[in-house]
Amino acid sequence: MTYLSLYHNDFENKWCPGCGNFGILNAVKSALAQLSLPPEEVLLISGIGQAAKTPHFLNCNFFHGLHGRALPVATGAKLANQDLNILVHMGDGDCYGEGGNHLLAAMRRNLDVTLLVHNNMVYGLTKGQASPTSEHGFATKAQPFGAISDAMNPIALALSQGVGFIARGYCGEKDHLSRLIQAGMEYPGFSLIDILQVCVSFNPVNTYAYYNQRIYLLEEAQHPTEDWHAAMDLAWQWGEQIPVGLIYKKKTTPFTKRIKTLENGPLIHRSHAPAAIQKALDNG
Amino acid sequence: MGIDVTVTIGGAAGQGIQTVGELLASVCHKGGLFILATNDFESRIRGGHSFMQLRISDEPVAAPSDRNHLLVALNRETFDIHADAMLEGGRILMASDGGPDTENPLADNVVNVGFTRLAKDAGGKIMANTVAAGAVLGMLGAPSGLLYKVLQERFAAKSAGLLENNQKAGRMGRDAVADTAFEWRFDWPERSPRGRLLSGAQALALGALAADCRVAAFYPMSPATGIMIHLIAFMDRFPLVVEQAEGEIGAINMVVGASFAGVRAMTATSGGGFSLMTEGIGLAGITETPVVAINAQRPGPATGLPTRTAQGDLNFVIHAAQDEFPRFVLAPRNLDEAFASVIRAFHLAEKYQVPVIILVDQYFTDSLAITAQEWTAPETIERFLTPDSEMADPSAYKRFAITESGVSPRAVPCAGKARVMVTANEHNEEGHLSETIADRNGQVNKRNLKLVKMAGEINGPETYYGDSRLLLVGWGSTDGVLREAVERLQRENYDVGAVTFCDIWPFPTNQAKSSLSGCEQFLTVELNGSSQLGGLIRQHTGMPAHETIVQYDGRPLLTGRVVEQVKQYLEVAR
Repeated sequence: MTYLSLYHNDFENKWCPGCGNFGILNAVKSALAQLSLPPEEVLLISGIGQAAKTPHFLNCNFFHGLHGRALPVATGAKLANQDLNILVHMGDGDCYGEGGNHLLAAMRRNLDVTLLVHNNMVYGLTKGQASPTSEHGFATKAQPFGAISDAMNPIALALSQGVGFIARGYCGEKDHLSRLIQAGMEYPGFSLIDILQVCVSFNPVNTYAYYNQRIYLLEEAQHPTEDWHAAMDLAWQWGEQIPVGLIYKKKTTPFTKRIKTLENGPLIHRSHAPAAIQKALDNG
Repeated sequence: MGIDVTVTIGGAAGQGIQTVGELLASVCHKGGLFILATNDFESRIRGGHSFMQLRISDEPVAAPSDRNHLLVALNRETFDIHADAMLEGGRILMASDGGPDTENPLADNVVNVGFTRLAKDAGGKIMANTVAAGAVLGMLGAPSGLLYKVLQERFAAKSAGLLENNQKAGRMGRDAVADTAFEWRFDWPERSPRGRLLSGAQALALGALAADCRVAAFYPMSPATGIMIHLIAFMDRFPLVVEQAEGEIGAINMVVGASFAGVRAMTATSGGGFSLMTEGIGLAGITETPVVAINAQRPGPATGLPTRTAQGDLNFVIHAAQDEFPRFVLAPRNLDEAFASVIRAFHLAEKYQVPVIILVDQYFTDSLAITAQEWTAPETIERFLTPDSEMADPSAYKRFAITESGVSPRAVPCAGKARVMVTANEHNEEGHLSETIADRNGQVNKRNLKLVKMAGEINGPETYYGDSRLLLVGWGSTDGVLREAVERLQRENYDVGAVTFCDIWPFPTNQAKSSLSGCEQFLTVELNGSSQLGGLIRQHTGMPAHETIVQYDGRPLLTGRVVEQVKQYLEVAR
């Protein structure tokens, strides 16, 4: 039994009042407590952005690295110690923009981490530019005539790449999101949870009211999560009705289970064998 | 040197130049000789002109040669390109088609061997390489048993027929030149192999293995790929994973992640890839995560000359990434030092929690040479980690605690009660981001404080005829050429010595001063345009080089050129 309070810390939070990140933060804390994981057994890895600051507001191990690069850091950490429980926090610009290549690679590797993308469809840390998930025409100071590009579709991308656990959460549905995060962390393999996040300062379109009127929970709609084609249809559903919940799940072989060297246990726990090394040196 | 013979094998990429060269190198090694085999190739898979040069001696070979005794021309172009470097009396073994015209002054030196025709007779044209090796060894007077032994090691495990056919091919090559006179044919010493025959890339990979490196991540890039290819070979027997990343940015971040999580980790790349890694090097700097990065230099900028050599990245790696943070830069001068430098790099990276950059180059990684020392894997690996049991109160652990040495106790995440908190932002002692003046100054000062003890780890340059009036100053893989140049100049009664650096950063100011203070003048010799080491010496010691010998054509430095330039300089100075 792990108490939620163990995850609280008193480090000053600098998010805007009403930020969607608070809902996500609370859902993460609740998920970790529900999974009975003590803080010292959890590792949070993040990139750069308001989302990536999340680890500072919990009480656990973390590596808050570079913009876009959280997934390769997580890959290295998993190679060193495959037993680590890793949650990756990134924003939409961080993950889908700067880190796009790493996302593709993590999907192909089936890196066994849970990726939470705080997707508010705008750049918050740099004060309001269009992001990869901003809708076409979304106007900002940097895009005064509206975003020229179309929004990317992370759910459809993940489906197209064979990801085995794909979900969409919403920052305003904290308990539901907590359950998704728990399921993602229990899933052996790469789990992507794209989280609809409200930005109260820079995104006047995708507000709490906007989402509250449109979202519906897939668990209540009895969506068949093993049906890839049904999932792909859902991936493109947007507008009046926005599906939230587990979109697709299938059994896969995680990254660290694919590497023969790791069958003998985590690299960090393997003993140093100077005699064997010397023998290899002598034989070239 | 009693024996000093140079053999060049040239042809189009894909013709098996390296196969012939490696066979010859193995035979020479087995026969107790020393060799230096350099590779010169264009950035292409087929065609063009490539060559491998083997300098063979009964004493250690430190530098490539600029004269040829024996040329194996697998095509006509090879003859045309290398004819000028042939010594009088040198021999050219031609693939039978398209030799030079009879009026050509070298026509009498040409022997048409017909490698492919003979190979077909031996059982298949694929064995043309073995025919060529047999012919060369025949010219050099090698005992026939040596090639047989090498072929046995190579083919015995495959099939008896293959071995037999190759042995036949080698014999046919030898027989084809049996009646050809060769002025430099020599008596082979009947002795066991001296040292080990290895490439620079292999030496670096073996160093990583000996250092107990557990994770390596890379993105393929010439001339660094070979290092990782050699390391991958150990993945099935050791706790080691080598991962091909999605790019150099991914590679360096994986290395940081693996090291943060508690194992020794490294990457290898060339300048272009290192450019992409610079932010990651900075990440290692501010998060105080130990990493080892090898930069095998090639000429740049951008794509530059992908398969050629240079020393143009010294200033770059010393300053790579924005702002300032401590790091080491080591530029090993030979195989033995490269092996030792990788072991040392991991040790220093963990002891001081800093990035360590190893600078080598294409000439070094792609050349084969003979080691001079016994190579020993460290019995114990000191990890400089702090477990919970060594903390007064693990729950109060501070990853970036201010200490007298600047080095904070380093714990591994999820290894105990201590929570390890790390950020690329400036931070407080706990690891939370902070913008206070006290934390900023405190952490910058803490990181820079490490430089005091780091400076004490640095070895000064080596000197050779160090009390000479004129000193040649260089770094990294040109060491052998400078030594040979000095040797040659000394024989001609020139008062010239050499000073060469391996450890370059933190810059060994006092050692450099004392090595250079006794001479009247010094010249820097470097494979870059501006004499980057010369600039550093001047910056740190106030001593300007009197002249610089620079070369940036992508080709290895040659002794003859250094000797000539030094003589010219002394001529003018007089």
